[in-house]
Amino acid sequence: MPLLTVSNVTLSFGGLNALSGVNMNINPGLITSVIGPNGAGKTSILNCISGFYHPTSGDIQFGEHKLSISSFSPHQVSNLGIARAFQNLELFSGLSVLDNLLLARHQNLNYNFLQAVFYFGKASRVEAENRAYVEEVIDFMELEPFRHQIVGNLAYGIQKRVEVARALTLAPQLLLLDEPMAGMNIEEKEDMVRFIVDIRQDRDVTVVLIEHDLGVVMDISDHIYVLDFGELIGAGTPDEVSQNPKVIEAYIGEE
Amino acid sequence: MSANRWLTTGNYFTSYQDEQRIFSTRLDKLIFIGFIVCLFAWPLLIKLSNRNMLVLDTILIAIVAVLGLNLLTGFAGLISIGHAAFVGVGAYTVASIIRLIGDDHVLVTHAWPLVIIVAGLVGAVVGAFVGLPALRLRHLYLLMATLSFQIIFQWIINFSTFFNQGQTISVGRVFWFTGKIVRKQHYVFWYYVILVAIVLLGLGVRNLLRTRYGRSLVAVRDNDRAADAMGMHPGLTKVYAFGLAGFLAGIAGALHAYLYRGVGFESFTLHHSIVYLAMAIVGGMGTLSGSFWGPAAIQFLELRVEDLAEKAGHYFPSNMNLSTALRPLTFGLVIVLFLMFEPRGIANWWRIVRSYVKLWPFRY
Repeated sequence: MPLLTVSNVTLSFGGLNALSGVNMNINPGLITSVIGPNGAGKTSILNCISGFYHPTSGDIQFGEHKLSISSFSPHQVSNLGIARAFQNLELFSGLSVLDNLLLARHQNLNYNFLQAVFYFGKASRVEAENRAYVEEVIDFMELEPFRHQIVGNLAYGIQKRVEVARALTLAPQLLLLDEPMAGMNIEEKEDMVRFIVDIRQDRDVTVVLIEHDLGVVMDISDHIYVLDFGELIGAGTPDEVSQNPKVIEAYIGEE
Repeated sequence: MSANRWLTTGNYFTSYQDEQRIFSTRLDKLIFIGFIVCLFAWPLLIKLSNRNMLVLDTILIAIVAVLGLNLLTGFAGLISIGHAAFVGVGAYTVASIIRLIGDDHVLVTHAWPLVIIVAGLVGAVVGAFVGLPALRLRHLYLLMATLSFQIIFQWIINFSTFFNQGQTISVGRVFWFTGKIVRKQHYVFWYYVILVAIVLLGLGVRNLLRTRYGRSLVAVRDNDRAADAMGMHPGLTKVYAFGLAGFLAGIAGALHAYLYRGVGFESFTLHHSIVYLAMAIVGGMGTLSGSFWGPAAIQFLELRVEDLAEKAGHYFPSNMNLSTALRPLTFGLVIVLFLMFEPRGIANWWRIVRSYVKLWPFRY
């Protein structure tokens, strides 16, 4: 049974259809990639899932109970267990790496305002517990040397990693990664690929990946959806997709 | 922590709770407590004139107000030029109570701590209400909303007979356990009250800043899209920031009413809003210590300039209006210079001094 179902989603801005009738099934425990040329609607579909856009028509259902999330706002979606890393860095640049990650624990810090003002008992304890969780993620994403540094001062590649780490700190069931490797060199890319594979294997998180580097996509994906001009032009395993004539046409052009 | 905590070369935390402490070493804590004790003890030894004591009290009240503004503008990134109106809401809450039950009612003269807290709560509610446009508006447009509140506030005060049309509504003398606070004790008494308020509110704010209620403020400042994706409602967080600022401003307003023993509209004008903003900028936006430096620096500057203007007027009587222009002139100049050369405010100098002292006599 799919973890997330995108059924017949259309998203239009005025006369422009960013997405038209897109269907997707995201199966649990897999790495599903969404590829396509620039402007194909990859980020739009992610924005629809994470609540930043609301589909003009169609439905998005999440989880066992097929909860319709197409009208949810981002914070409601994230509370369900869908985390997202942004394409352009959207970090809290004035805060340390630690605080960035602690912010992702916002919903788990379940003390009330008065306990926070006096900072005794529960507030202190819950903060320490969540700090331990954050430390575990820092360990996982190998961010230890940067823990106390201000995010805005870090190198781009590290910031990208903090972005993924922050999404991971939400303890999601489903992780949406929007071009986590954009603008990285080979070494950083290899690191990131390793992290993504580890996230799926060790942390049992379903991953949806948008990526332009087809080599990476073909290597690590279990399932691929290909978008072009807002329409789904192909779907299947990496092998199937790479044989698909429509996909070849979209990427390379006709002979 | 190591065995001899006076000789350690660093902080060796053994638990996360240790690391979350405000004072990471006993020495830090000791210095802080010593400092507070000094603040409480010195009026017993040195007797200041009422005029100087009043200046000091005014600075302390400004600190309470700027603490709120700093949370709103420095931490949550929401610029407000209606902060004097929030302070006014606190003061006029006291005034309303007095208009309703009289200024010698036991509630006003004996239960004044309660009145001050009520003023804070009213300030919080009004602040949150004024902050509602933050659900939709951003940046400059939100600024306009706060400006409009400032104008509406002044208008309401000036045109309603209940508030005496902005004329002073007097506040009665209060009682302490030792009896009525007479004129001679008045300023020292309120110095202590305001100091207690600052210590409590300061520690409260410091605590908030290390919990989710403080971090969420900075989150909506830095990136409210990401804040949304992290599971917090950015709009409501901003409204909460306004409520928090309103609370502190309300407390400051009530203290102001009691200190001056009267509430008049001329203490809560647009000019004062801008002065509060200047204090926050000069002190250092987004730093807790900035809320303490700013008011002190600006008030001190104002006093110096006033002296200077008086002297100048003495020597050049024909240019009297020029010397009255000196005050706004220097004032504007200081803000511009700070924004240009030290946008992080005096708090940054403090930070530099501290890190220097920490390492002395070594360079790094």
